[in-house]
Amino acid sequence: MSPLDYIVLVGSMLTIAGYGIWRTRDRRSLNSYLKGAGKTPWWAIGLSVMATQASAITFLSTPGQGYLGGLGFLQIYFGMPLALITIAAVFLPIYRKLNVYTAYEFLGKRFDKKTRLLGAGLFLLQRGLGAGLTIYAPAIVLTTVFGWPLNFTIIASGLVVVVYTALGGSDAVTVTQRYQLGVIFAGMVAAFCLLIAKLPHELGIGDTFALAGGFHKLNAVSFSTDLHERYTIWSGIIGGTFLMLSYFGTDQSQVQRYITGESLRESRLGLMFNAVCKIPMQFFILLLGVLLFVFYQFAQPPLVFGATRGQEAGVMPATQTEFSAAHAEARQDLETWLKARHAGDASAASAAFGAAVAAHTRWEKAQDDALRQARKRSKTTANVADYVFITFILEQLPHGIIGLLVAAFFGAALSAKAAELNALGSSTTIDFYRLLAGPRATEKACLTASRAFTAMWGLVAIAFALYAHLVENLIQAVNILGSIFYGTLLGLFVVGFFVRRVGGHAIFWGALLAQGLVCALYFNLTISYLWFPLIGCAGCVIFSLALQPVLGTNETVKGEAAA
Amino acid sequence: MKEAVAPENSEREEETGLSWPRTWRGIYFLVLGSFALWVGLLILLTDAFG
Repeated sequence: MSPLDYIVLVGSMLTIAGYGIWRTRDRRSLNSYLKGAGKTPWWAIGLSVMATQASAITFLSTPGQGYLGGLGFLQIYFGMPLALITIAAVFLPIYRKLNVYTAYEFLGKRFDKKTRLLGAGLFLLQRGLGAGLTIYAPAIVLTTVFGWPLNFTIIASGLVVVVYTALGGSDAVTVTQRYQLGVIFAGMVAAFCLLIAKLPHELGIGDTFALAGGFHKLNAVSFSTDLHERYTIWSGIIGGTFLMLSYFGTDQSQVQRYITGESLRESRLGLMFNAVCKIPMQFFILLLGVLLFVFYQFAQPPLVFGATRGQEAGVMPATQTEFSAAHAEARQDLETWLKARHAGDASAASAAFGAAVAAHTRWEKAQDDALRQARKRSKTTANVADYVFITFILEQLPHGIIGLLVAAFFGAALSAKAAELNALGSSTTIDFYRLLAGPRATEKACLTASRAFTAMWGLVAIAFALYAHLVENLIQAVNILGSIFYGTLLGLFVVGFFVRRVGGHAIFWGALLAQGLVCALYFNLTISYLWFPLIGCAGCVIFSLALQPVLGTNETVKGEAAA
Repeated sequence: MKEAVAPENSEREEETGLSWPRTWRGIYFLVLGSFALWVGLLILLTDAFG
């Protein structure tokens, strides 16, 4: 990175954080700290919801996912429109009517204190465990590439977000997120345009799509009914709806973003903005990865994406030679294919493309061998997908744009982290401190506690990130953890909203049974993780209904509280 | 009078404040329509190049 890149990176990050602190300097009440000034318009809510969901790893890894696996990953978002409509029509009016700070307050009003603590506890457990990752994941990628000290990157970026989130509260998160998202979009659009300009001039749009399609990168929709296939239209629409319903409807980091709206209308429109924009946005990020794949058919990629010099030195020269030779052969075959295609010679084009695919298989195998050799030399759990886009940025883009894109990645990390800390601090204050401290929890004490808990969770996240390298496959572990707990959490709310005859005891024990079932199935089945939220939610509903005649005889069901 | 007030409030709650669509049901259909359009285009893309 050049000095210009550093100026763009540090300047944009500190300016946005400083602006967030300055804009929210007058937040003195608990209500304005946790919910903002109550004047957030729909577009700011929409951007805030979007920025909270999209962490740095989304923008770093998703193009890599497109490069490696094509557009199929997009199906995970197919459940989002239906889920957001359900939340806008059912969940949101109830949250606003009850005037809650956290989603779990609803559980207390509808059921009882223990169910509320169970819901808030499940949220704190999964979100608290994942808290370090939003800092760690981008830091490990960026420090590997730039050679920065990992601990310094984690602490510096972590402290920036802790300071402005703890000081400014919910509004600071919303205010900074819109500018951070602006930097992210500017960076991604610039990268997209520059990538298109770097593709061979003789390659038209039809040729590009034909080439990518020939390598199965444009298989966006799969109708397979195999439950083990991770991304299909069925797992996306059915499983994805439950996953998105749990995340957007019951995860406080999202609920806190949209309950800050000026009115029900603004909150609903903010959610609908995401329901419409998310699939096109993810499509273009994945398409960026597919175009990177096409680009690297004509320009030789690194033998190992993201490898350090020490790791590269551990690769056998024969592997390097085989890789270079196979890539040059594949490139020549693709140039022949292109000429034949433009000349209208279908049989010559087909033969050349077949030869290119064979040569491509050879250079991909050489890359796999090299990755194995590099990993043997220096133990690493690096995921290739994380390094594809950043490698292209550093090797192919001009200075200034590099700084803008690194700023975009840090902006995404900070915006997602800020929303998480804000939610963790709010839930700890409202669902635990205020509930358990009783009369001692005055508004002033709650405000102070909220700031302290936000800072505490920030420091926990930094500490977790500093020691995250000790756990192998951490990202996968936390993602799976999330999908395991989300179903039960959603089940608590589904019963609360729709099954009036179930009371506190039945739902509490039903939720615990459902959670046990999901854990047992996780250890014994190898189905896609997208199905677990559905299983957890259905289990929670069925078990609570079955237990209600046994456990609910001596309690008053408070079904009307939520209505 | 009471009978007249209830539907009016309910109608106001259902208004989006936009010139089009005026009701939330209309917005939800619009969202589902745009989703169906995207899925349709993605299926076409898969069929054409997959």
